[in-house]
Amino acid sequence: MRFLALCLLLACTLLVPAHGARLISQVSNETIEITSSFDGERMNFFGSIVPDAGAEEKFVTGPFHVVVVVLGPTQNRVARQKTNNFGVWINTGQVEFSNFPSYFHVLSSGRLSDITDITTLTTNYILPEAHTLVANSSDWWKSAIFGRQLVRLMTEEGLFGVQENGVSFLADNFYSARLTLPSNAPPGPYLALTYVFQNGEIIARKSEGFAVRKIGFERFLALSAVQQPLLYGLVCVILALFTGWLGGVIFKR
Amino acid sequence: MQVYLPIAEMSVNLFFLVGIGGAVGFLSGLFGVGGGFLLTPLLIFSGVPAPVAVASVTGQVVAASTSGALAHYRRGAIDLHLALYLVLSGVIGAFGGVAAFALLRDAGQLDLVISLGFLVLLGFVGVLMLIESTRSILKQRKGIVVRERLPNQHNWIHGLPMRVRFKKSRLYISVLPVLIIGLFIGFVGSLLGIGGGFIMVPALVYLLRVPGNVVIGTSLAQVVAMMAATTVLHAVQSQSVDILLAFCLMVGGTAGAQFGASAGKYLRGEQLRGLLALLVLAVAIRFGLSLVLTPADPFTMAVLGGSQ
Repeated sequence: MRFLALCLLLACTLLVPAHGARLISQVSNETIEITSSFDGERMNFFGSIVPDAGAEEKFVTGPFHVVVVVLGPTQNRVARQKTNNFGVWINTGQVEFSNFPSYFHVLSSGRLSDITDITTLTTNYILPEAHTLVANSSDWWKSAIFGRQLVRLMTEEGLFGVQENGVSFLADNFYSARLTLPSNAPPGPYLALTYVFQNGEIIARKSEGFAVRKIGFERFLALSAVQQPLLYGLVCVILALFTGWLGGVIFKR
Repeated sequence: MQVYLPIAEMSVNLFFLVGIGGAVGFLSGLFGVGGGFLLTPLLIFSGVPAPVAVASVTGQVVAASTSGALAHYRRGAIDLHLALYLVLSGVIGAFGGVAAFALLRDAGQLDLVISLGFLVLLGFVGVLMLIESTRSILKQRKGIVVRERLPNQHNWIHGLPMRVRFKKSRLYISVLPVLIIGLFIGFVGSLLGIGGGFIMVPALVYLLRVPGNVVIGTSLAQVVAMMAATTVLHAVQSQSVDILLAFCLMVGGTAGAQFGASAGKYLRGEQLRGLLALLVLAVAIRFGLSLVLTPADPFTMAVLGGSQ
């Protein structure tokens, strides 16, 4: 009987969203092209919170909080620690993190701790530390330490970050967020996940993809290095020999 | 002016790249070394991923050494016969070096081996060269006439079997030490991302007693051929040769090498060796300190192969 009641309660919460809101959002750039002068790119995320299709009210009433999570392509990363062994500093400990995001930025309209609780943030991978829970190590304490350090190193490189004032509301239910993608942003498919919070609960979410990719000559070079490595190496050597020879001719006295 | 490097996947200032290429090229022309032992650490320090730096510098070393080698070739200062033996054994050594490079990188001990390798190698070579050059400079100051080495002054190394006559060097010596030197430099060079000229020059001078007028030319010719092979090897195996990065360094390097070569004419052999010894020792000390001093950050990170 109690089980049935629980199921009923669960079904109700699933069928009837608490506030009946949905999100209409847009990313300013669908592809970010890396050219020879690529020095980072500025992009905008904007959208508005509107009532669900078929809802009777014309407006949704706030206040809302919006969190935009931008995720880069995943890589296998390793964090290493040097320790002093008889006066020499050697890498002695390492923890691997598979499918670790190569880029991760959180933009929010307020302090994350004010928006919702830690469990929601962790289970939705909104906190950088949440990504380090997938370490390939049985020693969870070691993983936690190395995970924290990895997040710190990524933050120092500008690849990880949390901007708690990154989202601004232009009207009660219209927001915009700005992100500057650094020049070392790894190429690949990116994901922008937008969450709308009200009273600490996610009431709407949406995900959009965009791509960072090399175009033109850069793309040609990067592809040939992988597809025709032998030819690429030979061309590089010929270029080197030619440059060396030319230098000798030009500067010959 | 920023330029995006497609393999390193980062943007770097163009003038910075050409500038350090030129500065290192000047030294390479002056001393007849490839300059890789200065350029590779400089690039890594400026944020280029270590595998890309090592692989791309090999391409730059080819270019920087080509102009020097051609200049020496015109003056007839290359023993091609000797260079051929060194190159053949060097390429075999390079295969081993590139394989060891991949193994160590996966084990996370590449930094340690590079630092230790530079420390031991550069420290040893630097001290030897410094002692020798200071001694000969002091002797000259005192007015003692230093006689040029006579061609028939052989040591025990020359007496090993399988003797070959090297006409240009006026040597009739066993090929075994020649092959061993080539093999060793090929291995170490591809592992540490250096041309190995600073080992080659003393090895030719002190071990094989190659006359001074062909030492630098022969060493440069060997560096060109061996580094060309290593570039192709790195391109095929690790695919981390950044042709744009290498080209920017080449342009600066070849220009710098010309000025270095002409500046070298105003210095005597032992003075050149003394200066090179100081430079080599400085780099050795820098690597030694990095092993012993407490690192600013004990934690480092790296991307493992097989990224998606």
